[in-house]
Amino acid sequence: MAAKTISAPIEVYRYDPSRDRAPRYDRFTLEVEPHTPVLTALLSIRNQQDPSLTLRYSCRSAICGSCAMQINSKSRLACQTPIGPEIERHGRLVVEPMRNQAVLRDLVVDQSSFWQNYRKIEPYLKLDPRQPMPEGTPNPMTPAEVDRFHETPRCIACAACYSACPAVESDPAFPGPMALAKLYRFVVDPRDRATQDRLVRIQTEGLWLCLRCHLCTEACPKDVQPSERIRDLKELAIAAQGGTERGSRHAIGFKENIRERGLLQEMKLVRQTDGLAGLAGQLGQGLRIWRKKPETTKRPPAIEDLAQVETLYRELDDPTEGHR
Amino acid sequence: MRRHEVVVVGAGLAGQRAALAAVEAGRDVAVVSKLHPLRSHSGAAQGGINAAVGAEDSVDTHIYDTVKGSDYLGDQDAIEFFCREAGPTVVEMEHFGTIFSRSPDGSLARRPFGGAGFPRTIYAADRTGLALLQAIWERLGTESSRFTLYQEWDLTRVVVRDGAVQGIVAFDRATGAFEGIAAPSVVLATGPSGRIYARTTNAHSCTGDGVAAAYEAGALLKDMEFVQFHPTALPDSGILITEGARGEGGILKNSLGERFMARYAPHVLDLASRDVVSRAIATEVAEGRGFPGGFAHLELMHLGREKIESRLQEICDFSRHFAGIDPVTEPIPVYPAQHYMMGGIGTNATGATSVRGLFAAGEAACVSIHGANRLGGNSLLETLVFGKQAGIAAAEHAARSSTRPEIAAADVDASQGPIRAMMARKDGEDPAALRAEMQATMERYVGIYRTEADLLEGIRRVRALRQRYENVRIVDRSSVYNLNLTDALEVGHMLELAEVIVVGAYARTESRGAHSRTDYPKRDDAHWMKHTLARRSDRGPELSYSPVAYTRWEPKERVY
Amino acid sequence: MKIAYYPGCVAQESGRELDMATRWVAKALGIELVSFPSFSCCGSGFVDEANLTLNVAINARNLAIAERAGLDLLTICSTCQGMLTLANRKLDEPSVRARVDPALAKIGVSYRGSVKVKHLLEVLTHDIGLDAIRAKVRRPLRGMKVGAFYGCHLLRPSAELASESGEEPHAFEDLLAAIGADPVMYRGRVMCCGFPILFVKPETANRIAGRQIADAKDHGAHAMATPCPLCHISLDSFQNKAEAAVGRELAMPVFHLPQLVGLALGASPEELGLPRHLVPVDPALAAIGRPASSVPSR
Repeated sequence: MAAKTISAPIEVYRYDPSRDRAPRYDRFTLEVEPHTPVLTALLSIRNQQDPSLTLRYSCRSAICGSCAMQINSKSRLACQTPIGPEIERHGRLVVEPMRNQAVLRDLVVDQSSFWQNYRKIEPYLKLDPRQPMPEGTPNPMTPAEVDRFHETPRCIACAACYSACPAVESDPAFPGPMALAKLYRFVVDPRDRATQDRLVRIQTEGLWLCLRCHLCTEACPKDVQPSERIRDLKELAIAAQGGTERGSRHAIGFKENIRERGLLQEMKLVRQTDGLAGLAGQLGQGLRIWRKKPETTKRPPAIEDLAQVETLYRELDDPTEGHR
Repeated sequence: MRRHEVVVVGAGLAGQRAALAAVEAGRDVAVVSKLHPLRSHSGAAQGGINAAVGAEDSVDTHIYDTVKGSDYLGDQDAIEFFCREAGPTVVEMEHFGTIFSRSPDGSLARRPFGGAGFPRTIYAADRTGLALLQAIWERLGTESSRFTLYQEWDLTRVVVRDGAVQGIVAFDRATGAFEGIAAPSVVLATGPSGRIYARTTNAHSCTGDGVAAAYEAGALLKDMEFVQFHPTALPDSGILITEGARGEGGILKNSLGERFMARYAPHVLDLASRDVVSRAIATEVAEGRGFPGGFAHLELMHLGREKIESRLQEICDFSRHFAGIDPVTEPIPVYPAQHYMMGGIGTNATGATSVRGLFAAGEAACVSIHGANRLGGNSLLETLVFGKQAGIAAAEHAARSSTRPEIAAADVDASQGPIRAMMARKDGEDPAALRAEMQATMERYVGIYRTEADLLEGIRRVRALRQRYENVRIVDRSSVYNLNLTDALEVGHMLELAEVIVVGAYARTESRGAHSRTDYPKRDDAHWMKHTLARRSDRGPELSYSPVAYTRWEPKERVY
Repeated sequence: MKIAYYPGCVAQESGRELDMATRWVAKALGIELVSFPSFSCCGSGFVDEANLTLNVAINARNLAIAERAGLDLLTICSTCQGMLTLANRKLDEPSVRARVDPALAKIGVSYRGSVKVKHLLEVLTHDIGLDAIRAKVRRPLRGMKVGAFYGCHLLRPSAELASESGEEPHAFEDLLAAIGADPVMYRGRVMCCGFPILFVKPETANRIAGRQIADAKDHGAHAMATPCPLCHISLDSFQNKAEAAVGRELAMPVFHLPQLVGLALGASPEELGLPRHLVPVDPALAAIGRPASSVPSR
């Protein structure tokens, strides 16, 4: 299994806030096989060159979630990222701590906000004393019910998604992809008795701040696809409660736009999302845009064969949904 | 000094289950762990958890299989208790929220595992440990106001005075502060110590800290020479390929294309118990029937893509990522690697050790239910069954305790002083180098097959390393996340345990379970049907022996 | 080449300049755009949040229109590209087919799944080819440093949607280089523009847009370019808000992708709808020595 070795230059972010005035990058060179994981290289630096290099690691097999970091600017597990392709693609290998979490030392970050967000979605089965669990036997659950979890049980809480997320970066009210994927896991759990409450609550606690940029799904080393599950949560939340928030009103409004005309109706949608009061708040900006782009306020003509679209709505959209 | 009623060290399945039990008993609990609880090595367990819940299966069969698997070194009273608790334990974990794999009728799915008479291993795809770890952490989290989590704290010692536990000394990685945590009851659930070996399936954090601390505090260690080698690990990295892969129908082949297990276990073939399969692979390779580089093949291809990718999803990923192998289309190279320590801190079935107020559970403990060889699927069960018992017993002890435990400044100094000295040294031994030499020594001289000459050499080398450890040096001077300090502590712990393993292995002149002496190839019930006990002394481990508990099962020759 | 032209909603409304520029460039490069007035909106990443199956069906109908004409489909919006590709992929799932096909049958439509959905970026770089474009460049954008801004849905989820590699995309930069511009590499180029929450929490959306613009600026960009009219709204129409959110002046001209290609192929700023931008593009034009006077400032 011996492969040809390559000489890999590795630049590592170094910072000890208790002693250093500013971060720096140390450069190490290692002879490695192309498939050598970044973690193996970092540990060999620790063992042979600089024992003060600091990082979290444990299982080295992508199951403990300790070694997420930025490798060439992408949030990844060091144990699961081979060096060769990185060097090939970027010509270099730069290792930095995760984003969106303060650096404690070198590659170790403060994960307390990540854990708090996870805790906040109440990640445990909520029961109803009137519907006790079957005594002495497991709850029945069909394989189809297990399938509804999708890949969320694979989550190892490595926080790669949290590090990659621009909503986390820009708004502390967003709980982050992992917490929402975890919430989804409880929402679809047939044993949980708080589905409705969970969905209602999350509508005002950050669900609609997801940008659907899919950076989390790209970052996830376990294929949990947080952005897809957040989308599922949104659909479930609308089904449960309807358009009570700007985000859900926007989605429903968009859907109604297409039913009516087949196309987006920009101004109408803004009104549906914001309400009249909100619209007034946007008036200045609207006017600025209107001066350059006067057609923004015009209703577009309906598409041809709109009746076909209407039929699809009749077949596939339950008009009572979202208005319960 | 901090003060609690029960201190649980280690936050894997055993530690968390113990903490939950102690919290439920109303005690003020501290959970001390060098990792965030969700990062514990329990999460790496893949295959499953045993419980005889199938209609065709029975608790008695589970007991029998475990006794036989232990090569009659397991205590049968403890095994009976253990197997009876299996069903309720699995049900409890299901009620806590574990997402198990299911059969079409909605019941818990089960798969066959090595050494078991029936398909008895309940699983969650091939990440059963992770599924259980998530569920227990999420359950324990509902009690978060009732325990204190000391996360990323390293245990340095267990303080015992006048024969009774006073608490622990630990240091906080984030600040570098050494602190005493006083408590009348301490539960050690620090898990494995596989990093004593060069090739291991264990995580880097598996360094036996609690076992070493108990030993240093005067507790007896039991059966430490019994080291399980898992038959199927990736040869380069030691990354585990679950026994579930063979449970699902995977087969082992040598370089001649032979299904060689037919020669070693004609009845159950690839699903013989782990010691048998590991020796078989080692023998095939030693006799020239391995593949270049020295390994066997585990073939899954005939199972088909869908089964492989759904039931063995993680190992699919592992093989692809860590070996560059796609198990759907090619065989996985495998060779045995250290996997599990049957031995540990000696306890009874309540988790009590030989020291008053000190309890242990999980892989750090030795009850003993695994005896000379553990069956797959029994370790997850052990963590939960005996974690709970230890938590209950620790809580009871704390409630009864009338003395007020104290950690003196001198106790903290006893931990901190040597560290200061290690940091002050201008010159000295590198912890990483000592660790590497220890690992190579254990691999070479105290491995799957053992001989008197090798073991003597092993003792000599381990003692030399311990001598050099006296002069170990920490070069990193920072007080923040000083992993060089952690390295030094961990190597010290592992060297203590390495000596106990090799001395125990040298003394035991028979072959039993995972302890395989080529110079004493037969099991010797007349002389050796007994547990090894080790007590620490300045001259090294002092060995004594205690009888094995029997109930119903007479020793027979073990054939699979 | 001949292709079904799917302009998307915004290019027919506030982003009309994108449609103008696309038509100009298509004509210059000999791409025959076939319009279908019965195309509906793609759902824009919002309708599927209310009803995924419905959204897939709507797009199956769009795709079927192109399929009936025997054409692949051209998008000029990262989000349209993402949503239509998502539909194509979802329709591979039997459970989705089982719900969508009967609904389509009610309107006499069936979709086999044969249509390739191609963004203009892909058509230019792959079908037309950079050599062919280079050959037609009359006024190379020499001296203009441009930060490409891809738009999420062109890239991710990479395993499923992307015509470009989500990891390290380069097609846009390659194209910019081919028309003589100097592509600027910066982290923000593959990040989010904030648009999806512009109407949910504007201040956060504006901050996200501001970060990416500032990142491009800090890497020396004279201008940004985007293949997505929704990104354009966030980066251009709301740039004043983004400036407020990040607390600095940005004054970053933001081009639609075909506008820059058009400029290089010889179109006038007016033909490309440049006067319609909220942030004046003259500084960028000045960088390549074009008279700013042809574009009225705000």
